Amino acid sequence: MAAAAEQGGEKIPPGKPMSMEQHMLDKGAQMLQSLKPVKQMNQHICTFALYSHDMTRQIETHHFVTRLNQDFLQCAVYDSDDSSARLIGVEYIVSDKIFESLPLDEQKLWHSHAYEIKSGLLVNPRVPEMVVRPELENLAKTYGKFWCTWQTDRGDKLPMGPPVLMMSPQAVNMGMVNPDLIVKRDDKYNISSEALKNARIEIPEPEWINPQADYWKQHGVGFFVDIEATEMKKIVPFP
Amino acid sequence: MEGVNVSTHPEIPGEPTQTSTALLEKATAAIQGFGPVNKIHQHLCAFHFYGHDMTRQVEAHHFCGHQNEEFRQCLIYDRPDDDGRLIGLEYLVSEELFLTLPDEEKRFWHSHEFEVKSGVLFMPGVPGPIQRQDLEKVAKTYGKVFHFWQVDRGDTLPLGIPQVMMALTREGQLYQNLARDVERRYNVSFEKESENRAYMTGPAHGIHPMANGGGRGLQTVLREVECKPVGVDHSAARVFV
Repeated sequence: MAAAAEQGGEKIPPGKPMSMEQHMLDKGAQMLQSLKPVKQMNQHICTFALYSHDMTRQIETHHFVTRLNQDFLQCAVYDSDDSSARLIGVEYIVSDKIFESLPLDEQKLWHSHAYEIKSGLLVNPRVPEMVVRPELENLAKTYGKFWCTWQTDRGDKLPMGPPVLMMSPQAVNMGMVNPDLIVKRDDKYNISSEALKNARIEIPEPEWINPQADYWKQHGVGFFVDIEATEMKKIVPFP
Repeated sequence: MEGVNVSTHPEIPGEPTQTSTALLEKATAAIQGFGPVNKIHQHLCAFHFYGHDMTRQVEAHHFCGHQNEEFRQCLIYDRPDDDGRLIGLEYLVSEELFLTLPDEEKRFWHSHEFEVKSGVLFMPGVPGPIQRQDLEKVAKTYGKVFHFWQVDRGDTLPLGIPQVMMALTREGQLYQNLARDVERRYNVSFEKESENRAYMTGPAHGIHPMANGGGRGLQTVLREVECKPVGVDHSAARVFV
């Protein structure tokens, strides 16, 4: 699936292909090391996200999810599901119970998940819908915080700039995902978001979605992170 | 010199995973494809400190995969255990790739030469001669790290905004109690390993002056911005599907 790694003929990232020697070193390390945290990933979720500062920019995302307890999940996020996929960020997912305990300023950075699940945008590729249904009912009540560190959708060949805060699809104009993106995803997995939406009518709506989440809906603002030069608190000289 | 926190591993609020949830996820783990994460082949242990505060230091367990010979992408955990918290990520690039970056961007990347040559960056479980074959390449690379979860200050959840992190660049920066703790747990000696790595060299063109913050500290700041598209009616009633 080399095509996935290229955009307009340019490789992302650029660089020489792996040497035989490096392959051997990798294999050697892999046999000797246990890589436990990575082995704990037990779900692949495909969904969509929007840049909080520019909601016309929307991406298909692939989350590889580890559950740490009934109320908390951590996800490594990639821009595709094949082995050449780029690591584009991290998302954390918390239950509504945990979310309500967060300070107001913190809540502004999070987004709700109910809409993307109910609308069939969020899927677990390869898993029959009924098998994953209980998990979706759980996830529909959660909130997420997603930082994107590599903007491959705008063609960045290397990860540039500060991390960017992402938001989730919502049922209002700015939060709607471009149908072309959805069709492309659906075709790839031979599924229909529309059909899933109908199947998921039974999934209960959360009784309440905290208005601090999806902050742009009420306030029209997104968030940007700047990296500023400053005096470093030091022990000895740096660098 | 003593640092404050040795391997803090804060308890995350919430209930233990229910059996039904665990079983469901066993099924998804068995059925689904994990292509991108199956590429992760390597565990590297190192230390990071905050870009604006060298006194806050964090043990960082990197789980890395190669995109190609010149580029690695790593997930960073606070512990290399089943319940390790995913606290950040790092990208590693060859010197060649680093030099293609605009100067403004170079500031956010740090050099690896000292970390490797001092023995502090190592691959747990891998014999010296084997790890040196890879680390001699790492010594010439640059890395870009963000942490999203400040476990060193005891945060039980990933609060706040991403933090730019830096890596060791000279003797005297790393808290000795943190170093001794890692050496003890992994039965390694940084000093011994450093002797074995004396032959290694850093970037061919020397450490770029714009790397490592361009010599300054770096701090992230959150800013509200009007989100595009502008002028859209935000008073639309919430509509569920």
